[in-house]
Amino acid sequence: MAAPGSARAGIQVEDLVREFKKGPRAVDGIDLYVEPGEIYGFLGPNGAGKSTTVLMLTTLLPPTSGAARVAGYDVVKEGSKVRAAIGAALQEAALDPFLTGREHLSLQAALHGLGRKERKKRGAELLERVGLVEAADRRVRGYSGGMKRRLDLALALVHEPRILFLDEPTTGLDPQSRSALWSEVSRLARDEGVTVFLTTQYLEEADVLADRVGIIDRGKIVAEGTPEKLKAEIGRPSVEATPAEGSGRDAVARVLSRFGEEIAAQSGAVSVRLDHGAGDLADVVRTLDSEGVRVTNLRLDEPSLDDVFLEKTGRSLEGEAEHEGEAEGSPEEARA
Amino acid sequence: MGDRAGGFFSVAFAVAGRQVYKYFANPAFLAPAFFPLFFFVAFAGGLTRVGDVPGFDYTGGYVAFQYVWALLQAVAMGGAFTGFSIAGDFENGFARRLLLAASNRQGIILGYTIASLVRATMTGVLVTVIALFAGIPMSGGFDLFGLIGLAILVNVAATLFGAGVAMLLRTQQAGPVIRTPIFLVLFLAPVFVPLNLLRGWLETIARLNPFTTILDAARGFLVGTPTSVLPAYAIGVALVAVFALWAAYALRRAEKTGA
Repeated sequence: MAAPGSARAGIQVEDLVREFKKGPRAVDGIDLYVEPGEIYGFLGPNGAGKSTTVLMLTTLLPPTSGAARVAGYDVVKEGSKVRAAIGAALQEAALDPFLTGREHLSLQAALHGLGRKERKKRGAELLERVGLVEAADRRVRGYSGGMKRRLDLALALVHEPRILFLDEPTTGLDPQSRSALWSEVSRLARDEGVTVFLTTQYLEEADVLADRVGIIDRGKIVAEGTPEKLKAEIGRPSVEATPAEGSGRDAVARVLSRFGEEIAAQSGAVSVRLDHGAGDLADVVRTLDSEGVRVTNLRLDEPSLDDVFLEKTGRSLEGEAEHEGEAEGSPEEARA
Repeated sequence: MGDRAGGFFSVAFAVAGRQVYKYFANPAFLAPAFFPLFFFVAFAGGLTRVGDVPGFDYTGGYVAFQYVWALLQAVAMGGAFTGFSIAGDFENGFARRLLLAASNRQGIILGYTIASLVRATMTGVLVTVIALFAGIPMSGGFDLFGLIGLAILVNVAATLFGAGVAMLLRTQQAGPVIRTPIFLVLFLAPVFVPLNLLRGWLETIARLNPFTTILDAARGFLVGTPTSVLPAYAIGVALVAVFALWAAYALRRAEKTGA
């Protein structure tokens, strides 16, 4: 384990629990470890406990039990040291509509104890980096959702934190803004060695960005590992074929069954899990051709993180992600 | 990359800077002076003859008698309005940014208090300028600093009280809970006539009300005949101390339940 506060200290969590007065445990005894410089994707549907975990790790909510060290410091006993080492862009960008982007940066820098000159320099640098130079002196109330997100990211970076928490940073962003944010997050980890703890409900985001992924459901981590490892764990790719007119479904199924076990497919199509992986695809094509079985569509499906989620929980994450109305266990509940 | 943390005062000045900037960006920052000015104009104008009532022994005259109360009300309401701002910051989530960035979170309370003092200075000056136009005497000389000192204590105590309520409730619904007790304390004192002319339950309550002593001392300072100085300052300092603990407790509660 790295010494407290050292650049080698990442995030360590042991049996972390958060209970609210009404309702089940929002976080139910999770363990995780994030290496310094790593991008850790925390994936789960709404209400799974992602944001509550982030609130605890950023010292905004004390755990009910368990332990967590961030940058080598205990989040309960050494909260001020944790806050000095981290930056966070939370789910809802907490901005003051009456301040401009530049004023926000100046305020944030002042809160972190940066001197006047340094504040100005750092603010200009970050406005440039997140593409808000032209809007810098406009009040934030006129910013679009994407601009607010970018400003929030800049604010989180003002004091050059070692660890960055991003809570669903791309929710509601257009594809261009999302892509720009992904690039910046990757650059921070790669070039500056920033440890990134990223929560998301988007499978693609976790797949593209994260070195390792933790999947949380109903307060518990149900799977953890690199995206590749997690996908490999749940099985081999499948091939799905849609019969052409004249070639019956049965004929297609007869051919495909030689390459693996049949699994659920779209209406009218046949799908099998390939016994020997994607390498079987060429043989499938050759066999269909040699036996005169014509198909209109042939698709190779690699396992996705959604398949991992489905395997571990029995539900599909992609379907769950659409249920925006299900609120995460939040501090508001604690007030009840 | 080194860990960057602002100390207690960095946090306080950053928070105060934002609040003060917002005051000056919005003329509504003088709102705490509106009620006191209304009362001052209405009562000092309409009840001037009260100064002729036998037993009314305040040497500065009735307008000056009313001015001191209006001034203390203005600075106290300045504190209440700061409480409203804090409640707003918690409701719209901005407080979370402050709590997240502030290495020393107690500095946030000091920041709001400094900003409240700036606001109270502006509203106090406004009330005083209008009172000077109305012809109040300023015969207290250096004793006027005593009056200013008491006004500061009243503002700080009201701010800390409001901050405590705001951080406990963390919603703008906290407004009436902050405002009502402050109004009660201000009005259940010798507002329109001196204590010796009050009768019945109001006299009893006014005698028990610690604000009465502060008001008497402040009126004494204005005309250069200080009375009850020590008790008034002791009460003022005690109120600040008690409400500082109250605000610190409320901050701890906000931290525990999540801002």
